[in-house]
Amino acid sequence: MLNYIWAGLIVSSFVFALGYDVRDITGDRYRNGHPLPVELTFTEGYDPAARRVPVEIRIEPGAYTSFYRTEQVPAASYPGYLLQTQEGTQLRFGAGAKLPEPLATIGRVSRSREEELQGRLVGFTPGAGVAAAGLVFEPVRFVKLNAIADAALTFAKTGAEIALGLIGVLALFLGLLKIAEDSGIVFALVKLVRPVLRPLFPEVPPDHPALGMIALNLTATVFGLGNAATPFGIKAMEELQKLNPSEDTATNPMVMLLAINTAGLQLVPPVLLLALMGTQINTLIFPILTTTLLGFIVAIVAARLLGRLPGYRASDPNQNPPPPAGREA
Amino acid sequence: MDAARNAINLLSFFVIPLILVGFPLYGLYKRVPVYESFVEGAKEGFQVAVRIIPYLVAILFAIAMFRASGAMEALTRALDPVLGLIGFPAELLPMAIIRSLSGSGSAALVVDMINQYGEDSLLVKMAAVMYGSSETTFYVIAVYFGAVGIKKTRHAVPAGLLADFAAMVIAVWTVRLLFG
Repeated sequence: MLNYIWAGLIVSSFVFALGYDVRDITGDRYRNGHPLPVELTFTEGYDPAARRVPVEIRIEPGAYTSFYRTEQVPAASYPGYLLQTQEGTQLRFGAGAKLPEPLATIGRVSRSREEELQGRLVGFTPGAGVAAAGLVFEPVRFVKLNAIADAALTFAKTGAEIALGLIGVLALFLGLLKIAEDSGIVFALVKLVRPVLRPLFPEVPPDHPALGMIALNLTATVFGLGNAATPFGIKAMEELQKLNPSEDTATNPMVMLLAINTAGLQLVPPVLLLALMGTQINTLIFPILTTTLLGFIVAIVAARLLGRLPGYRASDPNQNPPPPAGREA
Repeated sequence: MDAARNAINLLSFFVIPLILVGFPLYGLYKRVPVYESFVEGAKEGFQVAVRIIPYLVAILFAIAMFRASGAMEALTRALDPVLGLIGFPAELLPMAIIRSLSGSGSAALVVDMINQYGEDSLLVKMAAVMYGSSETTFYVIAVYFGAVGIKKTRHAVPAGLLADFAAMVIAVWTVRLLFG
C-alpha cells in the first residue's frame, strides 16, 4: 500500500502542477511581455548620467486589477531605484516590498541578485515631476513545476537533517536503555506490564524484553515526551525485529506497535498548542483526550483485524517463514 | 478536571529526570559497570540515525512535492459535496489530509486558521483537537520501520490511516457536541 501512496503522491503532484501551469499559460496570468503601467516620482531629481537614481513607484490600483485580472491591489507606493545597464533602463523595487499577487510570484523569477523585483522600463521619457512608463518583467512560466522540484530538493535535505539531528538524543536514551537492560530494569518492567500488553502482542514471548521497551515507549508517549518516546520505540522495534524470521517484512506485533504510536495517545497537550492558544487549551483538554483515546482504540482494533485479512495473513513472516538463506545456492 | 491535569503535567516533568538519574543509580546498586554500559548502548545512536535517512527522505520529499503542487486545493474542491453529507466542514479538509502527512505542515495550518478565523471559532477548536489528538503517521512509519530496515509495511499504513480518519471525524463531532 505504501508503494501506491508514495507513487501516487509523486505522480499526482506532477499532474496537478502541470495542469496549473498550463492553465496559467493559456489564461496569460502573468502577462508575459506586456508592459505594466507604472508612475515614477523622482524624490531626488532625475540625473541621466547617474547609474543609479532613487525613485518612488506608484501603481494605480484600478490599472493593476484590470491588467492582471485580479482582486488584489498594490500598496500606495513602493521605494525603488532606476539602474542603467547594458540592456537598457532597469527598475528595481526595494528588497522586502510587500507585493500583491501575481507580482509576488513574478518577483520570485524576475529578480536581481539582491532578491529585489526587477523589470525593464519601456516608453520612459524623463521629465520633471511624475513620469509614466511601462514595466516589462522576465517571462514567468511553469511556476508550479519549479515549485515541486524545489520542494523535493529542499525536503530531501530536511529529511537528512532531521535524521542526523536525532543522533544525540538517540545516543543518550539508547545508552540509558543499555544500563536498564544490564541492570534488569527492563526485565522487571516486563513482569509488571505483561498482563496489559500481552493481549496486544500475543506473538511476543511472555518474558521478552520487547514488552519492557514497548512499556517505556508508551509511558513517554502518554506524558508527551516525544524526544524519549522515539528512541524507546526504535529500541522496541529492534527487539521485535530479533523475533522476525524475515528481514524486511513487518510482523503483526510491529504493525501493532506502529499503530499505537501513530495514534499518539497522550495526556499532556502538545507544547505547540499551548504556545498558540494559551489558556484556551484548558477547554480543549477533554475533547482532545476523548478523541485521542478513541483513535487509539480504533488503531488497535484496525491493526488486529486487518492482520486477519487473507492477503495480510499470507504476507505474515511468522505464518510463512522465508526459506533459510543460502538454500538455493 | 483541573487537578487531574495539573497532576499529569507535574508528573511529566519528573519522567525524564527519573530515567536520567534512576537508571544509572539502580545500575550502580546492581553492580553494573554503568559507564561502560551507557557508552556501549549510545554507540548505536549514530547508526540508527543514519539508517533512517533513506526512509525519511523518501517520505518527506514526496509529501513536500504534493503540498507544493496545489493538489490539495483541487482535492478540497472535489470532495466538498461529499463532506457536506457527513457534516464535516470543508475548511478542515486540508488539516485532515495534512495531519497524517506532515507535522510541521499541520502546525502551520493551525496557525493559519487562528489568524483567519480567530481563537474562539469552532473551526479553530476542531483543528486544534485534530492536531492534538493524532500523530504524523507517515513520519512515524519512516522512523520506526526505517530504524530496523522494514520495507514491506503490510497493514501498517491502512491501520494508521484508519485510526487517523476516525480521529479526524471524532474531533469534529466532540467539539460540535461540546461547543456547537
